[in-house]
Amino acid sequence: MKPRRSLVERAYHASLSLYPRPFRDRFGEEMHDFARLRINAARRGGTAAWTRETIALFADLVNGASMQWLTTLRERRREARAQPVIDALPRDNMDIISQDLRFALRALARRPAFAIVAALTLALGIGANTAIFSVVNAVLIRPLPYDHPDRVVIIWGTQGTQGNQGVVYADYVDWRQQNRSFEDIGAIRGQSVNLTGGTTPDRLTGAFVSASLLRVINTKMSRGRVFTEAETELATKAPVAIVSYESWVARFGSDPAILGRNVVINGTTFTVVGIAAPKTPVPLFAPTPDVFMPIGYYPNAHGLERGTRGISAVGRLKPGVTIEAAQRDLRAIERRLADAYPTTNAGTSAEVFSLKEYGVGPTRTRLYVILAAVAVVLLIACANVANLQLARGASRAREMSIRAALGAGRGRIAQQLLTENVVLSLVGGVAGLAFAFGMTKGLVTLIGPQLPIDQTTIAVDGPVLLFALVVSLATGILFGLPPAWKASRTDLTDMLRSRLTGGFGHLATRNTLVVVQLALSLALLASAGLLTRSLIALEHVDPGFDGDNLLTAQFRLPAAKYDSPEKIWSMFERTVTELRAIPGVQSAALVRASPLSGNGESYPVTIDGRAPVAASEAPSVQVNSITTEYFTAMHIPLLAGRDIAGTDRKGALPAVVVNKSLADKTWPNESPIGKRIKLGDDEWRTVIGVVGDARHFRLDEPQLLQAYVPHAQRPQIFTSIVVRTKGNPLDFVKAAREAIWRVDRDQPIWRFRSMQQDLDAVVTAPKTTMWLIGLFSVVALLVAAVGIYGVLSYTMTQRTQEVGIRIALGADARQVTRMVILEGSRLIGVAVLIGLLASLGAARLLRNQLYGVEPHDLVTFGAVTVVLAGVALLACYLPARRASRVDPMVALRSE
Amino acid sequence: MVQTDPSSQLPLTAVVLHILLALADGERHGYAIAQEIEGTTDGQVRMGPGTLYGSIQRMLGASLIEEAPQRRRAADDDERRRYYRMTSFGRRVLELELQRLAQVVRVARQKRLVRDPGVA
Repeated sequence: MKPRRSLVERAYHASLSLYPRPFRDRFGEEMHDFARLRINAARRGGTAAWTRETIALFADLVNGASMQWLTTLRERRREARAQPVIDALPRDNMDIISQDLRFALRALARRPAFAIVAALTLALGIGANTAIFSVVNAVLIRPLPYDHPDRVVIIWGTQGTQGNQGVVYADYVDWRQQNRSFEDIGAIRGQSVNLTGGTTPDRLTGAFVSASLLRVINTKMSRGRVFTEAETELATKAPVAIVSYESWVARFGSDPAILGRNVVINGTTFTVVGIAAPKTPVPLFAPTPDVFMPIGYYPNAHGLERGTRGISAVGRLKPGVTIEAAQRDLRAIERRLADAYPTTNAGTSAEVFSLKEYGVGPTRTRLYVILAAVAVVLLIACANVANLQLARGASRAREMSIRAALGAGRGRIAQQLLTENVVLSLVGGVAGLAFAFGMTKGLVTLIGPQLPIDQTTIAVDGPVLLFALVVSLATGILFGLPPAWKASRTDLTDMLRSRLTGGFGHLATRNTLVVVQLALSLALLASAGLLTRSLIALEHVDPGFDGDNLLTAQFRLPAAKYDSPEKIWSMFERTVTELRAIPGVQSAALVRASPLSGNGESYPVTIDGRAPVAASEAPSVQVNSITTEYFTAMHIPLLAGRDIAGTDRKGALPAVVVNKSLADKTWPNESPIGKRIKLGDDEWRTVIGVVGDARHFRLDEPQLLQAYVPHAQRPQIFTSIVVRTKGNPLDFVKAAREAIWRVDRDQPIWRFRSMQQDLDAVVTAPKTTMWLIGLFSVVALLVAAVGIYGVLSYTMTQRTQEVGIRIALGADARQVTRMVILEGSRLIGVAVLIGLLASLGAARLLRNQLYGVEPHDLVTFGAVTVVLAGVALLACYLPARRASRVDPMVALRSE
Repeated sequence: MVQTDPSSQLPLTAVVLHILLALADGERHGYAIAQEIEGTTDGQVRMGPGTLYGSIQRMLGASLIEEAPQRRRAADDDERRRYYRMTSFGRRVLELELQRLAQVVRVARQKRLVRDPGVA
């Protein structure tokens, strides 16, 4: 409360300047005192009373001020009539400001071309900054929509040195009972679920939760109730469900009678007991899951057993407890659990993160990189407008000197110029806001899907408007200060004597500004260059499979209906047969986790005949279950041994195919065929073949050790399909869906995508960053080029006489051109030196965004230097050529 | 601009009347005036600093009130606080205004527009 109070007080104090000077001098202190007492009294009445009082106070202030002005003006008019003396001298600050504003508008209107160019430059800069800030605000600054969001944390398990692991349900139960740091801890597990009973089977996003989770995140309900503790306990679980407000509208037609009605989810009948409030925020979900069910119904067979990291845990810290303290608390509990259950809990522990940090952490660098780039563009634009102003300042020297002669002080003239610039930047800011609205929409479509938040919350709202205002004012002051400073330091007699040729003094400032512009542009260009090289490297990664003409999709069988491995496998087998029968399908297979889909699991590997190592020390292998024809369909080459065959089924020898990396690492000098390995706590499996390496989670991951086991020997309810087609794979969506429905007409199938879409999606985020930075750097380069062109043209105009004399004395056109270009080159040379240093700094910041290219990549730095120098020299050439064509007679006469 | 004829000030605006009433018991500072008025009118007349000091300025100009001379104040009092008190001219204006209002009430009561007999 305290900073808020002082802020209002300060605002009130500042607003008192709205009153006419005499009144303010006499009563200002007292009014301030009065307002302070009022606010203090209202504060005891709570936030609502405080807000009402604050509004009332300001309304009273504005009202009072306007009354006072009316009185004052009436009196003045009376006095003016009484003694008719022309009196244009301002009386107080309000007068000065309004006079300055009038002058500013008149000055800008006199040179509309300058005003429009400057305002547009600023509008683009401010608009782009505002648009990017609207994203930064929504993602990084705005607090999460929970009560006391700083106390909501996410808890991950750790295993040996590996962090970010899921949480074991049994551990969670112990944490809840034994901790002293949390108000409560909740369990959540997201999984898509099948809703049946409608015309076609439907897939919903589901959240399996504990009652405590809904309390931790303070879930608000539109209708009905939340789960009770007993309903979500494993022992006493009850089939109840809560639907999200959005799915209630979309799937249940906003029918209030849904409460108490039954729905069939994953083959189990649930009773709907509640409808959540609109846009209910749920950790790890964006948007809200369609349906909430008790955690006890989580369908994976071993999902909740001790030793299986099946859930995520979200906690609410007690007030005043730090994350570190909570972490120590949980670690102590984990140590006790490790003693009690050495087989499952040895080497495991827990880590606590703020939910906000967890959600936005990975996006933060990217957004800051983009924001920094766009801020640099604005800086360059500011330098340009300042340069334009300095040029105008020179030609307005006469105007200024006359005003000085009439008695305007230096401070007064500086203030006038500053006002002019702030007006200009505010005009730019308003136009920039119009840009920002458009650009924000574009940005949301461009990068919205890559953000960890609900993208509908990105908008130009209050804080963003404030940001735009502050940036506008700051830019106005930033580019207004150099001219104002110049004006205030110029000597009156000098100004009058030097006539219009004055202003050489500006040159140093103007050159500095140009050097800064060019250097900043170079840093931006270098960043864009590095990102481009990195993107090219990423796009040229060989995924190890052929992504063309591959269709993928996913489905999950309801565990209640498919309650034995035999039932699951028989469904899978018939599905593969149906898929292969589709005309135009060359090969088809099932795979538990298709590459780049985000799915996949890893287990520690044990090698037969080697000394056993602790689970936390063993190499981790990415394990996938596949049917026959998988490698054929994916075009993953078989390097040794044999592919999985139809005979590798339950009862036959447990088989496994390993990738080249696993084979080379484990059996460097011998054939792996016939060796035995164990994946996690699975049975021993004999290696029957070796295949090529393939990327799985990301393209820029270090090559994983991979193992493929036959689906038939270990069927699990979740699987994906991969179908190699003749022609566009997306033309086969309908046929593939119907093929699966011929096996089970209640089975929803989702995420139909071509593998090429998944491959493209991998590079989407880096590509967006690259395009944005690239765009900014091109804009920056153009603006800087205009800057150096402007300075040289201006210098040449000033030196027309000198050039004329040179030519009259026999200098030829080439020599004059060379002289001008040399002068430009000096600036460019200095700028390149500074710019390269700045680029090195920028590259260090970019380090984490780069793949396959060093931050100090010489090729990139060399190339962008050539580009920058080339464009800048071209900008120098135009004024140089004009100078070389000066007619000496005209030039000399012009004095 | 000292007014000599108190009746030239009538009728008083509600705010001015209330301020004079508040100062009838002695000198007060601005916030105390507002508090007093709010208290005696059961919160019906509530003024902010802008309204209050706008009126105070006019009342000072019309010599209805004046600033009380500086003197030692209680330890908890703020130094910059200024106290105002009614001038004798102000008191005469207030009395005239109250007589005028009493006359108004009397007329109203004769026409049976007011039932409350409690008002003096």
